[in-house]
Amino acid sequence: MKEVDNILRILKSASQMIESDKTLGLKDLSDQTIHSATISQDPDNIIVAVLVYALSKSFNRDYYRKMEGWKTFEESVKKNLKSAYFALESNDVDRCRVGLGKIRNSINKINGNLSNYIRSIFERAKINKAFRMYEHGLSSEQTAELLGISLWDLATYIGQDSSAESRHPISMPIKKRIKLAEDFFN
Amino acid sequence: MKHLIFDAGPIISLSMCGMINVLERLSENFDGEFIITPQVKREVVDRPMKIKKFELEAFGVKNLIDKGVLKLSSEFISDGKLSSETKRILKISNSAIRSKSSGEKIKMIHEGEASCIAFSNLCKCDNMIVVDERTTRLMSEAPENLKEYMQGKLHTPLEIDMSLLKEFRKDRFIRSSELLFIAYKKDLLPMKKEKQLLDALLYGVKFKGTAITVEEIEEMKRMI
Repeated sequence: MKEVDNILRILKSASQMIESDKTLGLKDLSDQTIHSATISQDPDNIIVAVLVYALSKSFNRDYYRKMEGWKTFEESVKKNLKSAYFALESNDVDRCRVGLGKIRNSINKINGNLSNYIRSIFERAKINKAFRMYEHGLSSEQTAELLGISLWDLATYIGQDSSAESRHPISMPIKKRIKLAEDFFN
Repeated sequence: MKHLIFDAGPIISLSMCGMINVLERLSENFDGEFIITPQVKREVVDRPMKIKKFELEAFGVKNLIDKGVLKLSSEFISDGKLSSETKRILKISNSAIRSKSSGEKIKMIHEGEASCIAFSNLCKCDNMIVVDERTTRLMSEAPENLKEYMQGKLHTPLEIDMSLLKEFRKDRFIRSSELLFIAYKKDLLPMKKEKQLLDALLYGVKFKGTAITVEEIEEMKRMI
């Protein structure tokens, strides 16, 4: 696990936000993980980025909280987030990973629509974080592998990335590239 | 014999635009072979075959392989040889850039792209790589701009070892957009040739993942 201090800070803050039911800040917290996750390309950093983003989406939808199974999910998140950061405080990375894994697995313990909704949030969170990492300079293939998603899922998102297009360096003038292509096909 | 080597990205963007069958018409008008490596096949056929959302597109690509439009690289170079060269390419390219503060290596390219460069190195023939990824092209065509580009993206100071990137200077790249431009110009598309069609094709692949700017698209349109 890389950037342990940062992960600890993120998990602790997420836990406090959820405990005090002030969850609007979870999304910002998730964004803070992307930078370190991109540089380190470390699976633990990526897992935390996806997890916190998915929690921000789940906890900020009021109607989920009224659905059957919410309490079970909420309790599991609270308990295991705490357990994860306590473990990290005592340098027990393996136990921290177990705690994080249990949050993901708690979806399997709830039945009905809520389970499907939250599972789908986690899937979309992976694609969202993948896109953010791609924006941060990773190649699409690399991003897809790190996040365990397909390149096909990522392709549509990449197409929407017109951010700061003017700053993208042109490695070859378009006329030259077209000539290259035409010569090759003639 | 010429070889046009395909990375996964262009095949995906052409498939998602419903233009994958253009490759068949292009191959009929090309004096050479269209190649995909096992690493690329995994991304464009094997993996999406298991995802319901993309299963149909995977069949479209598989159909092109079955018809011989896309040839597997193993017909020309053994998978073992390609795999060793791919590993060597990955080692060099992914050692070239490091974070100044932590010294960590920044991975720039991955197996698919590396396998295309590896095939290009080994095939000993006139070849070109179709890759939509900006970073791969920059690494070869303008490595001097790579540092600034990656620093801007990663928001962190980087060090670059230009000597490692020297060997990529010989590689030649086009994108799916150039393939569609040629198909349009040669009238190989299933639609009636009209000016707006080129606009639709180029923006189509842009929004499905090809790294092409609006300025480049507009310039391509003016070239007709």
